[in-house]
Amino acid sequence: MAASLSYREKTLYASLGAELVVYGPYFFLHQQNSLNKVVGMIIAIIVLQILLQVVIALVSRNRMTDERDRLIELRGYRAGYLTLATLMVVGLGLLWAHAAAGRLSIESHRMGLHFLSVFFGMLVIADITKTATQIVSYRRAL
Amino acid sequence: MPAIRNQIRDLRAQREMTQQELADRVGVTRQTIIAMEQDKYSPSLETAFKVALTLGVPLEQCFQYEPRGKR
Repeated sequence: MAASLSYREKTLYASLGAELVVYGPYFFLHQQNSLNKVVGMIIAIIVLQILLQVVIALVSRNRMTDERDRLIELRGYRAGYLTLATLMVVGLGLLWAHAAAGRLSIESHRMGLHFLSVFFGMLVIADITKTATQIVSYRRAL
Repeated sequence: MPAIRNQIRDLRAQREMTQQELADRVGVTRQTIIAMEQDKYSPSLETAFKVALTLGVPLEQCFQYEPRGKR
């Protein structure tokens, strides 16, 4: 299967894998509420992405991209943006509802970390949506 | 399915040209040629002209427009 994949597809699979490996434990093993872990995770994803992209670039003979790649890239960004915008509206709506009901105590340090996790999670979900949309577009030929 | 169909596979086979050779000469990836041959991707006008030029046929011999619902 790997031989039939274009350079862009390989980078997308690597990117999705890196995101799931790095972000997965953070969100699913409940490692939130730690600023150090967030910083460590951001460094880890940057290093892992660079390493994977370098390896793929080295083993790929043809690193060419064309108009279809650009179209699929735009489709992914559109899906990612719509996901992010939707999550932001829902998140801000819930925040407003909690504040209006008087169930929000902004003063605590823990609350700040909670918001950091929520907004970071939105970014991660939007990014994974973008990558997944691009992979699906490639698999469906567009 | 796009409304634009094409004869790339047949024209390429007549010229004993591989997908990779056509892709290299047109300046796209082999996956794009595959998608075009399967009628899953309608190329830009510029790429369509390049494909026809590479295969040595007029554009309309290579690509045909079929309005949706008429197939």
